[in-house]
Amino acid sequence: MIALTSPYLWYTTRATGLVSLILFTVVVSLGTLVANRVGGATVGRFELGELHRTISIIAMVFLGVHVATTVLDSFVSTGVIAVFVPLTSSYRRWAVGLGAVAVDLMIAVWVTSLVKSRVANRSWRLIHWFSWLAYAIAIVHALLAGTDARHGVGLGIVLVSLAIVAGAAVWRFSARPTRAAGRTALSPLGSEVGEPRGDQRHRAREKRSTGNAGRQFDRGPR
Amino acid sequence: MGVRRTGGFVLALNPVLCDGFGHCAELAPDLVHLDEWGYPVLTGEPVPFSNLAARESTRYAVRGCPRQALRIERVNLSQ
Repeated sequence: MIALTSPYLWYTTRATGLVSLILFTVVVSLGTLVANRVGGATVGRFELGELHRTISIIAMVFLGVHVATTVLDSFVSTGVIAVFVPLTSSYRRWAVGLGAVAVDLMIAVWVTSLVKSRVANRSWRLIHWFSWLAYAIAIVHALLAGTDARHGVGLGIVLVSLAIVAGAAVWRFSARPTRAAGRTALSPLGSEVGEPRGDQRHRAREKRSTGNAGRQFDRGPR
Repeated sequence: MGVRRTGGFVLALNPVLCDGFGHCAELAPDLVHLDEWGYPVLTGEPVPFSNLAARESTRYAVRGCPRQALRIERVNLSQ
């Protein structure tokens, strides 16, 4: 067994921290693609959803290793409690504390997704919104605590990840995917409302997609 | 879960939860069609449990729904 004083635990902490950051960047980006109704023709929407689900599990494993090696490493005194309770670490109190907040939020998002069929969908969605906050806190944690995140390739990875997720966030909150655009025409109120609601952009896209041969996959509003 | 040899199921939709993601039509194209706005139209026909392919794709559709709007309802098939 590796001695708990060897530097390898510390190296593993640093490496898995960076890999977790990259993986969670991919996970958040895929989640945004699903939420914004990307896919249908070349890549299935369900495929993006399945990738989101699968890669998130891999990312949680890396996060677990990152946390476990930090606790096991005896060079910095970070206890098990400090993993979950913020500001209880004597080593880099604020940096590790922010990491603990991010871990707590990610566990909440992860567990509610694991038992998704037993959680009210509104609750699941509300909790899932906190993944954005968790990611933001994790980035601050990386910049504050990251040994490699201050210069060179490590800093580059952090900045590129931040840029990708910031772009995803802007897209997610601005795109407002069309959904009930046609519902009024079918609802009992449809005769009163007359025209289905929905912007020109949506209707143009609808027109384009009606002539598509791959109807099975390409008949959605987006 | 063992193989269920008798009975069947229908794929049921909660239209209030559905937001027209369209995952179900990709995962279970035999049972789900989309209307022109992207909302699912279910065939509503009971499928025997012995149809393993349909069972599998239906289970994936239920799991893959981002809004948890689908469920499998057991029905008795009259022979």
